[in-house]
Amino acid sequence: MTAAAQPLPAARRSKRMTPARWGLYAFIFITALYFLLPLYVMVVTSLKPMAEIRQGNLLALPVAPSIDAWVKAWTSACTGLTCQGIKIGFLNSLRILVPSVVISILVGSLTGYALSLWRVRGGNILFGTMMVVAFIPYQVFIYPLVRVFSFTGLGQSLLTIVIIHTIFGLPTMTLLFRNYFASLPVELFKAARVDGAGFYQIYARIMMPMATPMIVVAVILQTTGIWNDFILGLVFAGRDNLPMTVQLNNIVNSTQGERAYNVDMAATLLTALLPLVVYFGSGRWFVRGIAAGAVKG
Amino acid sequence: MKRTLFASVAIVAAACVSVPVSAEEMKAEVIHWWTSGGEAAAVRVFADQFTKAGGTWIDSAVAGAANARNAAISRTVAGNPPTAMQLNTGKQFDELVEGGLLADVDAVATEGNWKGVMPAAITAAATRNGKMYAVPINIHGQNWLWYNKAVLASVGADEPKTWNDAITILDKLKAEGKVIPLAFSGQKNWEQNLFNSVLIGVGGAQMWTGILGKRDASLARSAEFKAVAVTYKKLKDYVDAGAPGRNWNDATNLVIQGKAGMQIMGDWAKGEFIAAGKIADKDYGCTVLSNGSGGYVMGGDVFVFPKAKDPSVTKAQMTLARLMLTPETQIQFALKKGSIPVRSDVDTSALDACAQKGMRYVADKAQQMPSGDMLAPPAMIGALQDAISQYWNTNMSADEFSAKVAAVLKSQE
Amino acid sequence: MRLSLNSRISAITALLPALLVMLVVYIGATGWTVWMSLTNSRMLPNNNFVGLRQYEMLFGNDRWITSVHNIVIYGVLFVSLALSIGFLLAVAIDQRVRAEDTIRSIYLYPYSMSFVVTGLVWQWLLNPTLGIQHVLRSWGFEGATFDWIVRPETAIYCLVIAGVWQASGLVMAIMLAGLRGVDEEIWKATRVDGLPKWRVYVSIIIPMMGASFATAAVLLSTGVVRLYDLSVAMTNGGPGIASEVPAKFVMDHLFERANIGLATAAATTMLITVIAVVAPYFYWRTRKGEMR
Repeated sequence: MTAAAQPLPAARRSKRMTPARWGLYAFIFITALYFLLPLYVMVVTSLKPMAEIRQGNLLALPVAPSIDAWVKAWTSACTGLTCQGIKIGFLNSLRILVPSVVISILVGSLTGYALSLWRVRGGNILFGTMMVVAFIPYQVFIYPLVRVFSFTGLGQSLLTIVIIHTIFGLPTMTLLFRNYFASLPVELFKAARVDGAGFYQIYARIMMPMATPMIVVAVILQTTGIWNDFILGLVFAGRDNLPMTVQLNNIVNSTQGERAYNVDMAATLLTALLPLVVYFGSGRWFVRGIAAGAVKG
Repeated sequence: MKRTLFASVAIVAAACVSVPVSAEEMKAEVIHWWTSGGEAAAVRVFADQFTKAGGTWIDSAVAGAANARNAAISRTVAGNPPTAMQLNTGKQFDELVEGGLLADVDAVATEGNWKGVMPAAITAAATRNGKMYAVPINIHGQNWLWYNKAVLASVGADEPKTWNDAITILDKLKAEGKVIPLAFSGQKNWEQNLFNSVLIGVGGAQMWTGILGKRDASLARSAEFKAVAVTYKKLKDYVDAGAPGRNWNDATNLVIQGKAGMQIMGDWAKGEFIAAGKIADKDYGCTVLSNGSGGYVMGGDVFVFPKAKDPSVTKAQMTLARLMLTPETQIQFALKKGSIPVRSDVDTSALDACAQKGMRYVADKAQQMPSGDMLAPPAMIGALQDAISQYWNTNMSADEFSAKVAAVLKSQE
Repeated sequence: MRLSLNSRISAITALLPALLVMLVVYIGATGWTVWMSLTNSRMLPNNNFVGLRQYEMLFGNDRWITSVHNIVIYGVLFVSLALSIGFLLAVAIDQRVRAEDTIRSIYLYPYSMSFVVTGLVWQWLLNPTLGIQHVLRSWGFEGATFDWIVRPETAIYCLVIAGVWQASGLVMAIMLAGLRGVDEEIWKATRVDGLPKWRVYVSIIIPMMGASFATAAVLLSTGVVRLYDLSVAMTNGGPGIASEVPAKFVMDHLFERANIGLATAAATTMLITVIAVVAPYFYWRTRKGEMR
């Protein structure tokens, strides 16, 4: 398979609407309904007042749609003593997201590069072990990691949470980049070595520029995972750096208090906006990127 | 009462004086799980009082009791504990005391004569090795029966006193077919809560303490226990098909709207009635069912204070401990939270009819029943919960259920 | 090809962070987890060795047995459905349909939302008195029943429905890329041969996409083993314990039930199972020479 998607040849713009085409569009329509149904319920619920929601007509359009719930979720929902909505965590989530994504991709790509092209003894064992531990629910590691970080004096801080996200992203990132680099023509690598280039030179000047599509894929996977993370941020980020998901949890999850479903929906949709924007913005590359490398089992 | 008043005044005075002298702010970071509107208003009572006493309340709310506990314990173990953390009254902090991680509040307790004004079961639950390590701040009754007065009146029923009464009423409602007889929220902890109310209401006080406190496995195989199990399972007939997974406040909502007759729920349900503008004794009624020696199952919340090396932190902790239990704070907190004060010597006139009823139950020593959490560790409560939930949701027989419960009790060391 | 000493050292040092992380974090923490499973730790870890007692309790625990049973059912259904649906969606989009960007986004957006609230929405949709059954009946289909979520025998299938909803978009993206990587020449050749389109897909395209299927399957499998959020948000393991899953068992006992010993025993069992499945696969791949 070639490394990048071939540009599609200029096809006839309009295809005839044969029965097969109708069937195709019908299939797409029906499956799209299945996918859109929860989104519809969420949006519609977020626009209704609680009195209307209690009547229980899930699919009904709001009688008098209002964005009160959205405003409340962003600016004034109670998350404890502070009633300022989820906006207070937004900046923190960003401050955690950006360095975590950058560093985890950096470390993952370097590791994948080293494992794929340079024959290091025990490299396969290391890779194999990484694949196995990717299956363990990460919550199991929380307690020992708390001890390790307090022992090393790092405690709870922005640096700690960035390191934690890097650690937990390492297996997937390594997998992506290792397979990608292994799929590139090996002549490239050999030629560079003959030219006398060293380890880091090849990485920085040749491999990474070629890996743009894969980097975008990694960005998307990491962004989704880190942005939606709750428990790691709660335990490791420290009071001043709590991500938005902590406020979201406080709004959505009260055990013995009232539940404002419309605010819950609005808050969730607001929280999901950033990953969605990242998806839309890089949709094109995403497809091209996965084509390039992840598929090489 | 006078001593406490004097003590509180003295504290406030001392705090006012000590602030400029020490030039060190009294800061308290508190981890708790009260995040919804009504709960937050209740916490604000404490925060305001603390501020008045010269301190700064730093709020670290985390929704979901397990999450909050997890966060607090991780911090404590990592050596960066909060000033105070919330737990439920009961055995949740045994290991923290054993590990020497908590500061005791014995001095404040003696000063405030807490043992004299709080129910014995509550102070016992907060005491380890003779010292008090936790500050109980409220009592939540767990086995209330809430009912819609209009619905019951429509079948000519009065407020039920025993479980037999209740079942008669449920039968009538079911026969009439217009409303859901028993509003129910099919989640594991509420299934357990319902079972508990039948256990105490039908089985009585001896059965309650025998099973949960003494862990007497043979009691679990007795005929009386079987009667409890059978009654419990019978209640399933009165529950509607949409119950599984439903949130508790949606079930309360059914009662409020007259779509259901009654619900067994703790007294936090009152907040829903109040929010919907309903009035106790007019629109809705509340009672506790008992077939004999039943009781009022008291749960509640406590605050514990991780041991600190810094004396200013200890000062903040003891200040917090004191002000949480002053009579005025207690009443204000209870009004906002829907619980009842932990002190029996407060002015209850401002409380609504159901809360006053609760105070009367608590005042009666024979009715004071410690909650399951106070008698058994979380692991055992959890194991029982699984067994109860299985029993409720499958066609397990009462005998099999008894055997399972006996096995759980036996496996606890 | 001889590697210069300098480069060799660079390669090894570049791998050091990974090695460090693997040793200290993963292997160290896993070792601690296994040790804990041999103690009677409750809320805080202790070092009271009790041998294999936690494992005895684990395998006598109804909820654990049901969890394992459930995850196998869920795993098989989820992976096969997500792979098939993802593939079909990719094929559909690849037919040069209009508004491809919008359609692709519709299939992908579920992946961006965590299950805490979307799980609740699915619970509403599947609840007989609130959701689809209620709506169908109100439209006149009197006998319509769709109450899987409240029945113990079928609750786990509801998790599959919501899980497939979330993951199919990701599979679709992987498959679409694989499809787009198929040479135009091959398509031209099949047109010349006059093969019906579906034959082309079945006999030629799918075999060429083995790698896509493999990647998707691996990603989906890690999701299966770590399934937690969905079980909590949608059914909380209910009704009863009918939709409990292993990761939820571990979490509940770690935190809520303050039983570290039992939780770590469960986690260790999961780990051993994964190793038992993954290790032979890796051995086979290495023997085949595909891993350089």
